[in-house]
Amino acid sequence: MNPPATLVESAVATTSDNLREEFAVELHDVSFTYQDTSAPALRHIEICLRRGEMIGILGASGAGKSTLAKCLNRLVPAFERGQFSGVVRIHGRALDGMRVSDLSHLVGMVFQDFEAQLFSTNVALEVAFAMQQIGMPREEIAARVEPALEAVGLAGFAKRDPTTLSGGEKQRMAIAAVLALRPAVIVLDEPTTDLDPEGKAEVFTLIRRLRGQGLTLIVIEHEAEELRACDRLLVLRDGQVVAEGAPPSVMTRLELLESCGVHPPDLNRVLAMLGIRAHAASVEEAETLIRGALPLRTACFGAHPSGDGTHSQAADPLISMASELDKQEAVENSAAAAELGWAKTSGVSLSYGDLAGSDVPLAEAQQLSFAYPLGPPVLEAVNFRIAAGEFVAIVGQNGSGKTTLAKHLVGLLTPTGGEVLLEGRNRTSLSPEEIARKVGYVFQNPDHQIFASTVEEEVAFGPRNFGLSDEDIDRRVAEVLRAVNLENVRTRDPFLLSKGERQRLAVASVLVLRPRLLILDEPTTGLDYREQRGMMGLINDLNRLGVAIVIITHAPWLVAEYARRVVLMRRGRILFDGPVDAFFQQDELLRESSFRPPEVTLLARRFGFHALTPEQFVSVIRARLKS
Amino acid sequence: MQTSLYLDRGTWVHRLHPAVKLFGLFIMFWSVFWVDHPLALLPVALLMVLLAHESHSWPNFYAFRWFLILMIPPTMLEWMAVYRAGVPVVNLWFIQLSRPALLFGFGRGLKLALLLSSSILFLSTTTIEEFTASLVTFRMPHRVAFAMSLAFRLVPLFMDSALTVVQAQTLRGYNFNRGNLLERMKRYVPAVIPVFMGALRRANNMAMALEARGFGLDIAPTSFIEYRLVATDIVALIALVTIGIAYFMIYYFGFATIAPG
Repeated sequence: MNPPATLVESAVATTSDNLREEFAVELHDVSFTYQDTSAPALRHIEICLRRGEMIGILGASGAGKSTLAKCLNRLVPAFERGQFSGVVRIHGRALDGMRVSDLSHLVGMVFQDFEAQLFSTNVALEVAFAMQQIGMPREEIAARVEPALEAVGLAGFAKRDPTTLSGGEKQRMAIAAVLALRPAVIVLDEPTTDLDPEGKAEVFTLIRRLRGQGLTLIVIEHEAEELRACDRLLVLRDGQVVAEGAPPSVMTRLELLESCGVHPPDLNRVLAMLGIRAHAASVEEAETLIRGALPLRTACFGAHPSGDGTHSQAADPLISMASELDKQEAVENSAAAAELGWAKTSGVSLSYGDLAGSDVPLAEAQQLSFAYPLGPPVLEAVNFRIAAGEFVAIVGQNGSGKTTLAKHLVGLLTPTGGEVLLEGRNRTSLSPEEIARKVGYVFQNPDHQIFASTVEEEVAFGPRNFGLSDEDIDRRVAEVLRAVNLENVRTRDPFLLSKGERQRLAVASVLVLRPRLLILDEPTTGLDYREQRGMMGLINDLNRLGVAIVIITHAPWLVAEYARRVVLMRRGRILFDGPVDAFFQQDELLRESSFRPPEVTLLARRFGFHALTPEQFVSVIRARLKS
Repeated sequence: MQTSLYLDRGTWVHRLHPAVKLFGLFIMFWSVFWVDHPLALLPVALLMVLLAHESHSWPNFYAFRWFLILMIPPTMLEWMAVYRAGVPVVNLWFIQLSRPALLFGFGRGLKLALLLSSSILFLSTTTIEEFTASLVTFRMPHRVAFAMSLAFRLVPLFMDSALTVVQAQTLRGYNFNRGNLLERMKRYVPAVIPVFMGALRRANNMAMALEARGFGLDIAPTSFIEYRLVATDIVALIALVTIGIAYFMIYYFGFATIAPG
């Protein structure tokens, strides 16, 4: 449609040269219904974005966020088929009849599935890809590649093969590829889904910096906390905008956010629990608000001058009590979990037999080392053991060896040094069935195992392979489907289930073999807050029944609320192995390993004590107020 | 996990113009096509060893060593069953062991091994961007060239995905290698379906990402990397043309044929 020169000029020119109109993006009465579905994905959307504005779009999975994003570069309706109505304008230009590729220099999009955006042999070529497609001169491409990589913290990565990057690095590279085009509008569809906390912070710091350069930014997220810097927030539910406004006005509507599957900011939750109806944009603000509203004396809460020291020892007994209490009640008290109705302990009942602990660890790695052929070491002399009933979170940067360690425990990898014992027996001496009864492994992507035509067939697959009787299989399947609350969809096609349901199905498929130890590799990745709560509620319930749990995760809040022990890995070694409370006090270690403590922990430090969750924080404050 | 055969070694073989490398691959195929006698294939085999050494591609040849080695004996057996020229030294039902049959069978096996070796060498020294550029040099439309080269990138990714799927099903007690050939094929259904569904999803996402990044515009894309023919390329081209002509001459004049007696 556009002649090459126009495209090149518009891509090369600065944003300010391009933007003459008042609104960078306009959507008027936009509705869209996907082909072969009856419910609209978008309903009468009205949005106008001024030049340089940054808006955040929040909502549960299926709320219409990605569909809305795709309307901005004509992927909807040019690529995704369905019934579209309404008008979309970019810089005052209606997009009717335009092709997706015509808009690449105007609207840059970072997709959720960043793996699908990799086309090139090295990082520099990946960043250059789109610039080549729009016919940009070689010299201009060369001038843009390195700054784009520097902007996302990948300087020096130009020659690296993208497939060798960690998930976080791949995502930053995808952002660099969009940045290099310097489009007037950038849409980021859950850009930090697979990043470690520090990587997340880097990306959002970068996004804020871009905003300062006059770009119009649209950021889609599940977690409200990350979108504090936006000018405006929109909350979607069932394809409709149900809330819109500046962050303080939206982020204080906690019930609405939770009901829309959005993780509300923990600082605002703390304030609300204390009866303070206000928005805190930072830990410092939250401290000021609490001190201003409550009669807290320094004697009660000796504020730590820098807010980054270790917590007061005097508070320890109280914290232990609160900690225990909250971990018991966290899930049950969650409105989201209650709404789902399957997260309570009473809902889970499995005929597991004796799961009582013994002195013999369920799994043990002794001096475990591993390297791929001709590759560098991935694990180096790792010693790790897990006892019956434990709940362990393995954390660490992308590529630190977490998944490799877990895969050794189930026999998916063979150590190059050391050994793995399962209940005291060398893993290599055990049959697949014996291993499956001892350890279950749930992959990060549930779609890697789903193949059957119905949910119940999918769950029955494992027991059938092990030659169990039909009667036993039926009993187990019914029991497990009830436990994960999928009994109502037992005859449905698994591919038609939501991501959260498919994840639960994957857990059920492993659980049906009744392993004493369940390993879950990033079980909440790609799930919205409500689904995350549901999944963690289920895992928590299983743990209470006596199943030992190992989760691999990047989410600090999840570690803080559910785990009892943390294993921190870096470069194939275990740097920390101990209780969660102690873990979040290892400031230097956390910083070096790019793991941020939850904001509520930082807030508690400013009051001179230690807390991991909003519930813990508030219980300590209340106790002190009473005393 | 490495999902591409390309080895970034920066040797003179890597630095050859992509079109020269693709032409080289064609000449290798061309040369082995015209001759049957193992002795006539020996120069190509030696050239391959030399290039593998020069390009530091041994890790990939090592990874494929069993394919290369095991390719020859079954091919020999197969041809001994159908190649009837010459006086049989041993006659075992359907296998006639004669000198010509042995030579012919070994030559066929060697041919296959050389075809695989030249492909390994090409992929070890050529990036997918270079592959695209080489196809475009030979007047293939950019979109088609890109799609073809992308396939080289995707196949290893699908293999990686298949490996994960197989791991997931194995952990659920599934044995893929039970029963006869037909039963085994059927038993791969639990692996094929997730891989296929994943491939469809990936293809859909990839198509969206490509379009969003300007792929498919009605303009000729530029190239970040500049490919220029240099003296080494000219020398390589002359050498390749010479080899191609020489092998055609060997065929044309009937040298290196396998005598029936």
